[in-house]
Amino acid sequence: MRDDLIAEILRNALRVTAEEASIVVVRSAYSTFIVEGADAAAAILDANGRLVAHSLSTAIIQCASLRSALPYVIEAYPLADMSPGDVFCLNDVYQGGVHANDLLVFRPVFLDGSPAYFTGTLIHVADLSGLSAGGMASDATDVFLEGLQLPPVRIATAAGWDEGLTRVLAANSRTPDKLLGDLRALVAGANVAARRLEALAAEQDLAAGIDGYLAHTEARMREELARLPRGTYEGEYAVEDGDDRHWVRVAVTVHDDGVLVDFTGTDPQVATPVNSGFSQTLGGVMYALRCFVDPSLPMNEGCFAPVDVRMPEGSLVNCTKPHPGGGRWGTVAAAEEAIFAALTRALPGRGAAASGILQAFSISGAARPWLHMAFELGGMGARYGRDGPDATGALFGGGRNIIPQVEPIEARLPVRIEEVALIPDSGGRGRRRGGLGTRTVIRVLEDARADTRGDRLRHPPAGAAGGGHGRGGGYYRERPDGTREPLPSKATRSPLRAGEALVVETSGGGGYGDPAERDPEAVRRDVSDGRTTR
Amino acid sequence: MYSNLPRWYPGGTQVSLTAVRRLLTLTKRALGWVEVCVAALASDIGGTFTDVVLVADGRVHVAKTLTTPDDPTEGLVRGIRRVLADAGVAAASVDRFTHATTLATNVILERRGADVAFVTTRGFGSMLALGRQARVEEERYDLAFSPGEPPVPATRTFEVPERLAADGTVLTPLDESAARRVAERVADLGVAAVAICLLHSHANDAHEKRLASLIAERLPEGTPVVVSSEVWPELGEYERATTTLMSAYVGPVMGSYLRRLRDRLAELGITAPVHVMESAGGVLPAELAASRAVYTIESGPAAGVVAATREGARHGLADLISFDMGGTTAKAGLVRGGRPGVTHEFQVGGKGSFGGRRPGTGVPIKVPAIDLAEVGSGGGSIAWVEAGALRVGPRSAGAAPGPACYGRGGALPTVTDADLVLGYLDPEGFGDLRLRPDLAEEAIARHVAKPLGVDVVEAAAAVHDIAGAQMGTAVHVVTVRRGIDPRGFTLVALGGAAPTHAAGLAERFGIRRVLVPARCGVGSAAGLLHADLAIERSRTFLAPATTADPVALEAVLADLENACRADLGLRDARCRVTRSVGLRFAGQAHAFTVELGPEAVTREVVDAAVAEFYARYRESYGIDLRDPAELTVARARVSLPADAAHVRGADPPRPAPDRTRRAWFGGAFREVPVRERAACAPGERFTGPCVVTEPQASLVVPPGWSGVLDDHGAVSLERENADA
Repeated sequence: MRDDLIAEILRNALRVTAEEASIVVVRSAYSTFIVEGADAAAAILDANGRLVAHSLSTAIIQCASLRSALPYVIEAYPLADMSPGDVFCLNDVYQGGVHANDLLVFRPVFLDGSPAYFTGTLIHVADLSGLSAGGMASDATDVFLEGLQLPPVRIATAAGWDEGLTRVLAANSRTPDKLLGDLRALVAGANVAARRLEALAAEQDLAAGIDGYLAHTEARMREELARLPRGTYEGEYAVEDGDDRHWVRVAVTVHDDGVLVDFTGTDPQVATPVNSGFSQTLGGVMYALRCFVDPSLPMNEGCFAPVDVRMPEGSLVNCTKPHPGGGRWGTVAAAEEAIFAALTRALPGRGAAASGILQAFSISGAARPWLHMAFELGGMGARYGRDGPDATGALFGGGRNIIPQVEPIEARLPVRIEEVALIPDSGGRGRRRGGLGTRTVIRVLEDARADTRGDRLRHPPAGAAGGGHGRGGGYYRERPDGTREPLPSKATRSPLRAGEALVVETSGGGGYGDPAERDPEAVRRDVSDGRTTR
Repeated sequence: MYSNLPRWYPGGTQVSLTAVRRLLTLTKRALGWVEVCVAALASDIGGTFTDVVLVADGRVHVAKTLTTPDDPTEGLVRGIRRVLADAGVAAASVDRFTHATTLATNVILERRGADVAFVTTRGFGSMLALGRQARVEEERYDLAFSPGEPPVPATRTFEVPERLAADGTVLTPLDESAARRVAERVADLGVAAVAICLLHSHANDAHEKRLASLIAERLPEGTPVVVSSEVWPELGEYERATTTLMSAYVGPVMGSYLRRLRDRLAELGITAPVHVMESAGGVLPAELAASRAVYTIESGPAAGVVAATREGARHGLADLISFDMGGTTAKAGLVRGGRPGVTHEFQVGGKGSFGGRRPGTGVPIKVPAIDLAEVGSGGGSIAWVEAGALRVGPRSAGAAPGPACYGRGGALPTVTDADLVLGYLDPEGFGDLRLRPDLAEEAIARHVAKPLGVDVVEAAAAVHDIAGAQMGTAVHVVTVRRGIDPRGFTLVALGGAAPTHAAGLAERFGIRRVLVPARCGVGSAAGLLHADLAIERSRTFLAPATTADPVALEAVLADLENACRADLGLRDARCRVTRSVGLRFAGQAHAFTVELGPEAVTREVVDAAVAEFYARYRESYGIDLRDPAELTVARARVSLPADAAHVRGADPPRPAPDRTRRAWFGGAFREVPVRERAACAPGERFTGPCVVTEPQASLVVPPGWSGVLDDHGAVSLERENADA
C-alpha cells in the first residue's frame, strides 16, 4: 500500500491510542474539575520530543505543555538511564509546565531496548498546596505561593511508586487522597496508551509510519501557510490586572519557509499570576495560526515545524522564576487576539472581533473543606460573515461539555444554583452580532470563600470593522436581599456568608461591521429569540 | 385528572383503561403466536436496502429490496409480497411481524420531528440553547464555526417558578397561576407536543406531574405532554431534558409511521401484531414503541447484534464481535459471555469520529442501547480524493443513485465498485440487480485512479483497504479501546457487504475465526425473529454503599419492575427480570453498572455488588482500589423470551457448475474457484483463496483461511497458520 494510505490508517490508530489514555484518566480521576465535566489531556510523543498525536479532548495549551516539557524530562533523566516501567512527572511552569495544579505524567515506551516514544497525560489535579484551595490564588506574587513546585521527577518504576515522593505530594495537598487518586489516574492513562503503542509497534514499522505521517502534515501545513500573503503584520491586545493593563504585542512575518511570530515589545512580566509560561504562549500561537489554515489538519509536530516563535524571556508571555503564571489564560488569549488582529490586516475579511473568554471561579468551604471549581464561557466575537456563537469556548477551543451541570453539583455540595442564563443584549452590535455572555448565580448554604479569574471585564471584547464591543461581564457578591456588589476580576478568598451568592457574568463578544447594515430579518429574529430586547 | 392525555403518553399511570385493555389483548395475541406460529415475518429497513425474512413451516425465505426513503413502507411491501409469493404463504397466516427501523434516528438527524414546546424551572430557560456540546477538533480552529440551532427554539421555551432541592424537598412551590399562563402561551403556539424537565424532578415528580396536567388541560385532546421524571428519572438535568425532548419530538412521527405501516400491512392482509425492536435488543409492542420512540433509535443495529449472539450460541461460542456492514454504515458490537454489552448513554447526530459516537457532539439520549460502534463505511460509501489523499465515505450513494455498477445513474465510485473490480463480487448480482464492472471501472478510473496517478486495480485495492481500516476502527472501539484483546473473539459477519470484508478485517486484529450465518446478507432481519419482548426503567438512587438501606433499594427496584410489567401488560411468570445498580467511587463521576441477582436486596447483596464493582474497576483501569463506593442508580429490565419460529436445517444442495473468476489476492489477480453456497452440502470445505457466493452476499476467503459449511447453512472460517 502507498505511504499516504498507511499514514491515514496509522493516524487513526495513534489518535485512538491517545484517546484511550484520556478516557481512562477521566473515568478514574477525582479532581473536582474532571469529575464535574472537564476532560483530560493525553498525547504521544517520540524520544526526540516530537508530538505525534493527541486525544481530541486535549486543549491546545495542554498539548503544547506536554510537548514543551518532555525535553526537560529527558534532560533530567537521559534516555540511557530510563528503564521500562519508569514514570515521570512535573508541574514546573519554567520547564514547559502550566502551573502547580496541572500535573504532567510521562511514561517511556521501549522498543528494542531503549525509549522510542513517550505517552503523556495531564489534568488539573485536586489540590497541591498554594494560597488557595484548588490553585487559583490571584494574589500569588511568586510561584511558590501558587503551590508545590515539581521539577521532572521519577515518580514510579517497574517496582512501584517512589513512596518518599508520593508522601511529600500527599503532605502538600489539602485533599491528599484525591491528589493521589488523580496521580493514579494519570499513570493509568499513560500506561494504557503505552501498552497500545507497543502493540502497534509489534504490528508494523512504527518509526517509518510516524515519520511519513509527520512529514505529510508538515508539507500540508507549509502549503497552507504559503497561501498567506508575504509580509510582516502587527497586532496587540491588553490583559487586565487590577487597575492596570498590560500589553501583548506581536509581529507576524509570513516568509517563504513558514511563519515567524515575534512577541518583542510585549510588556514585562509582573508579580501577579497573569504571566504566561512559554509553553502556554506557544499553545496560543498555534491556536491562532491554525485558525488560518485547513482546520482538519491533524495536530502533530508537522504543525509546529514551520512556525518560529520568539518569546522574550522575562516578558508577560515567557515568565521567569519566580514570577507566577497560574492565571496565564488572559495573556494567552491576548496573544491569540493580537495574532488575529495581525492576520486580519493580512487578510481583510477573514478576521473576527474579539471574544469573551473563559472565566474561572472557585468556591471553597470556610468551616470544612469542600471545593466547587468551574468556569463559564464568554460570547465569541462576530466574524466577517457570521454572528458570534453564544457562550461557547472561544480561543481555548473546548466546548460547553466541560461546564458542570446543576443537579450533580447540588447533590454534592452545599450550594444552590439559581440561574444559568444567556444575557440579552450582551453581544456587541454590528452587521454581525457578537455572541452572548452568561449569568450564573450560585448561592452558598454555608460560609465560604470565592476565588475569581476573569479578563476582558472592564475593557470588554472590542468590535471590528465598525462593530460595537460586547457587554463587559463581572463577578459579584449578591446579598440575601438581592443587592449586588462587584468583586475584583481576580479576587482571592473573598468571603461569602451563608445565604449570599456568587454571581458570574461572562462578557459578550464584539460585533463586526456597521450595526446599521444588519439584516432586518436577523434583527427581528434576535428579538424573538430573546438575544436582544430591541 | 389525566384522562385527556393520549394513549401513547409515556406516563404509566396516565395510560387510560381502554388502552390497558387493548394492550393486554395485544399481548395475549403476542403470546399466542409462540405456540401456534405458522409464519413469522421480520424486516429491517436500512439506508440502502430493505431486508425481509419470512419463516413459514420451518423454511426461511428472504428478499432484499432497495429502500424507498420517501415512504419506506413502499420497499417494505414490495419485499413482503416477494417472500409471501416465494413461500406460497397467504398473508393472513402471518401471525407475527417484527420490525427494525432507523426512522427515529433519521427523524432526529434530518430534524423532521414534531414541533415541541419545552418547559423548565425558572432561571434555566437557556439550558437547551447553551447545550453541552464539545467542539470537535476541526471546529475549534474554524473561525467560521457556528453551533447548530438548539433542538427547541427559544420562542418555544418557557420557565415556571418552582424549585426543589437535590433530595426532592420543595423549596419553592409550583406557581400555579404562572403555570397556567405558560399553558396559555403553549396552547397559542399550536405545538404538536410538550416536554417538561424541572430541576431535581427525578427525586420528586410532583411538580412535573401537576404542571403536565395544567398544560394538558389547555391543549387539544391527545397532544402529548411528556415529563422527564417519567422518561428518564435520573440525575443530570441536561441529558434528562434532551431525552424527554426527543421522546416528545420523535413520538408523534413514529406513531403515525407505525399506523401507516399497520394500514399497509392490513391492505396486504396481514393483521398480526407489530413488534418494534428497541435499542437494547428487545422488542416493544408497536403502541409502546410510539410512546417510547427514543428507545428505538438503535433499532436496526441492535438486531444485528442479537442475530450474532444467536448464531454464536448455536456454535457454542460466547465471545463474539458482531460485524454488520450494509450499504451505508458498518457497526461493530461486542458479545461477552453470550450477552451483548449494553450502554446507558449515547449520542444521536454526533460528529463522526472513531466509532461515530463522540460524547458531547450530538444530542445525548439516556436510554439503554446495545453498545455499538458505527462508522460511515458501507458498500455504498463513496471514494474521493482530497489534496492527494484518498478518502472513503462518510457520504454514501445509498439506494439512489447507488454505486456506479448498479447502473442506476450513480457515477461516483463506491466500496462496492472497488469490490467488483477486484473480483470479489458476482456481476450476476441478486434479485433484479445486475452489477456492471465496466461502469465500476470507469468511475474508479475517473475519480480515484487518475487523480492519484495509479492504475484502476491499484486504486480499487486502496479503496477496499481504506474501507477495511475504517471498519477496523469500529471493531477497535468496542474491543481494544476498552482494554479487551479481540484475538480470542469470533467475528460474526452480517449484512450484504460484511462477508466480502470480514476475513481481511479479522486478520487486522489477529482474530482467527469468522462465522458467516446462513442468509447473512439479511442477518439483522433474521435476528429480529429471536428478539425478546422487553422494557427497562431506572431511577436515581444516591447513597453510600456501606450505609445504603437495602429495604429502600428493594422498594425502588420492585417499583421499577412493576412499572415495566405494566408497560408490557405482562403478569406472566415466564418474565425474566434483570436488576442492576450503578456504582462508583464516592467523589468520582463515572459509574459502572453492576447486575444484582433476582433475590430481594439485602446487605449481603449490596456488599457483593461493591466487590464486583471493585473487580470491574481494576479490570478496566488497572487500578486496585478499595475506597468507599456509592450507589447512583437503580434499574430493572423485564423481558419475555421469544420462542422463535423453528427453522429446519439447510435446504438440500442445488447443483451448480463449478466456476472460477479472476480475483485480487496478495497483490495480484489469481484465477480462484467460485462456489455457490446453495450448491454445497453440509460439511463441505472451502480453502482460500476462493469466493463463496449467495444471492445477497459474497464471501471472500483469503489465502491462509479455510471454511466449512454446517448443517444450518452457516460457514465457519478459520485461519490456518497459528502465527496470528
